[in-house]
Amino acid sequence: MDGSAEVVALVGVGILLTALYLQSESFVDPLIRGIAVQSLLLAVLLGWLAWTTQSVDLAILAGLAVAVRAGLIPYVLRRQIRAFRWRMRELHAAHRVTGHALAAVALAIIAWFVFQQTLASIFPQPGAALPFVLLVEGLLMLATRSNTIVQVIGYLEEENAVVYAGALFAQGFPLFVEVVVFLDVLGVVLVAVILSIQRDVTGTLEEAALEELAG
Amino acid sequence: MIAFGDPFGLFVLLAAPSAAAVLALIPYPAVSQAVARAGAVLAFAAAAVLLATGATGRWGAYLGLDPLSEVFLLMVTGVYATSIFYSRGYLEHVARPFLTPQVYYALLSAFAFSMIAVLVVTDLGLMWIGVEATTVASALLIVLERRPSSVEAAWRYTLVASAGLTIALFALLLLYVSTGTLDALQLAANPPAVTLPVEMAVALALVGYGTKVGLFPMHSWLPDAHSEAPSPVSAMFSGVLLPTALYAFLRVYRVLPSPAPAVITDLLLAFGIATALVAAFLIQRQRSFKRLLAYSSMEVMGLAVIGIAIGGVALYGALILLVAHAFAKSAAFYCGGNVLRTTGTNRIDEIRNLRETMPATGLAWVVSAAAVTGAPPFGTFLGELLIVAGALAAGLVWVAAVVVVAILVAFLGVNSQIGRMVFGEPLVPPRPVATDSESGWGFAYLNLGVALAIGVAALPYLSPALRGAAVFLGGSLP
Repeated sequence: MDGSAEVVALVGVGILLTALYLQSESFVDPLIRGIAVQSLLLAVLLGWLAWTTQSVDLAILAGLAVAVRAGLIPYVLRRQIRAFRWRMRELHAAHRVTGHALAAVALAIIAWFVFQQTLASIFPQPGAALPFVLLVEGLLMLATRSNTIVQVIGYLEEENAVVYAGALFAQGFPLFVEVVVFLDVLGVVLVAVILSIQRDVTGTLEEAALEELAG
Repeated sequence: MIAFGDPFGLFVLLAAPSAAAVLALIPYPAVSQAVARAGAVLAFAAAAVLLATGATGRWGAYLGLDPLSEVFLLMVTGVYATSIFYSRGYLEHVARPFLTPQVYYALLSAFAFSMIAVLVVTDLGLMWIGVEATTVASALLIVLERRPSSVEAAWRYTLVASAGLTIALFALLLLYVSTGTLDALQLAANPPAVTLPVEMAVALALVGYGTKVGLFPMHSWLPDAHSEAPSPVSAMFSGVLLPTALYAFLRVYRVLPSPAPAVITDLLLAFGIATALVAAFLIQRQRSFKRLLAYSSMEVMGLAVIGIAIGGVALYGALILLVAHAFAKSAAFYCGGNVLRTTGTNRIDEIRNLRETMPATGLAWVVSAAAVTGAPPFGTFLGELLIVAGALAAGLVWVAAVVVVAILVAFLGVNSQIGRMVFGEPLVPPRPVATDSESGWGFAYLNLGVALAIGVAALPYLSPALRGAAVFLGGSLP
């Protein structure tokens, strides 16, 4: 493995570790900081790839990852919970942290295995399975968490997975920067608008507290 | 080929709703409403002219038309136009709207624009952006009536739909790596070799876009969003948003040669059958009439996916079903909106005797319930009949049997529940009702007329485009 591939693989492992950490955390503030770290690591990877391939698109994506997913959205999320930052915890998840962590590891292994069996021959790059694993981890977070802020974090993780995949094995994908900008816009809309409305209308950020929709 | 005048038609299609989305923000509600209406009418007129002239081909690098997109354009712009007109009466009765009328009309126009964009772009990446834009434009519309349950519905819709679309984006990445292009027309004209990554891309696109179509088990957002959105928006969700998402999948599906590999058609059949059956049985236990209508839409999407999987005549039937259902279901939601405004509830058990309290709406509702569930002579009946016939012709007797069961169960569920609300004996004591809220039922009758015409009269007009679309998608028609 050459030096550049080693950097990509190492940073990729770092991103995977943050994904596993996010699954095993129930306090909201560390979760927000966790996704910021993951986005920063992704930005490092994108920046490295941009430098080695002289790609302007990848440099823009790195900038977006820093500005929006490591900076703006975590900042807004932390402001949402500023009054009770250090004690806000997802109780539903707190009782099941061990289960979530085990499920996350098991899913990561399964996703890795599936990738190796199906797509590894087409994507021989080192760590090419990692975006696939990250996508599955993001979906797991969306499926198992009920706090809206944590669900936003799951969404951001999914977006990181797509950007990671695009940078790693689909360079030249038309309009990829525009697509990512669009995902970021949606992320900001999610955070800035719907979270605010939810606080105003319901006074809570627990989706589980809303039980009117049934059937 | 696209003729001299057709770029103008395409231009109007895109410019009218986008201009309306901007100009509707003018701080004069009457002007805003007029602008939104003008944008919708112009877009519908452009779609009708393009369909009537049979203009197909490519315009520039990213725009193009073919029979499939023309049929869907007529459907989207038709329901968009009636929903815009119906909105006025509905908005007047919203007590504490979260959005001003100007913002409402701007978002509704932007929502329609994003769907139209999905239908006229030829690049699968742009198409994905269009589908994602429908989420951004419509999420806030769900919150119009400022209920906690509306916020939850908007939240679930945004999150679940976006998660699904992320999977669809993964599918496009795989497709691009495998084929080197995302040009839908080019891929359709020269299908790539069927390799595992291409098959995986189509399968992931089915899961991803299927989330937005409301396929089981990714459907959790659908009943919530449809039931909590204001009725004109629900009409657009049920009538045209779900088919538009299905259209985006069809464009990816079309990269496969015809007939598609068995693994993909089996997957489509599995999703279609599960969706139709689950929705048909869930219809029976609904307490809210808007959720009832939402599950009915889900059942129709399941049937359409079954038709696509079978191909040939069944695929042709699926397209007829989608178009007729769009108009019939929007009519049902307009009636539901009137009932909600008048009675103040969407609980089925709290509504009775509409035949006397709301005669015009009550009659339209009963007819629209029959239309959406495939009663003859509506276009939905023809579509469902062709799906069953196609299954039998393909030797899939068990599939035909399952389709018939789903149709019958859904038919009984929807019609019995709406029949009870319209013809049931008055409640004792009677529920207080608002007066003067039975406006807008004319649009329900208008759309019901279209659904009826598709079944009895308009097919010769629509048939060339529908047949062209079915053949394009890989069907061989007698």
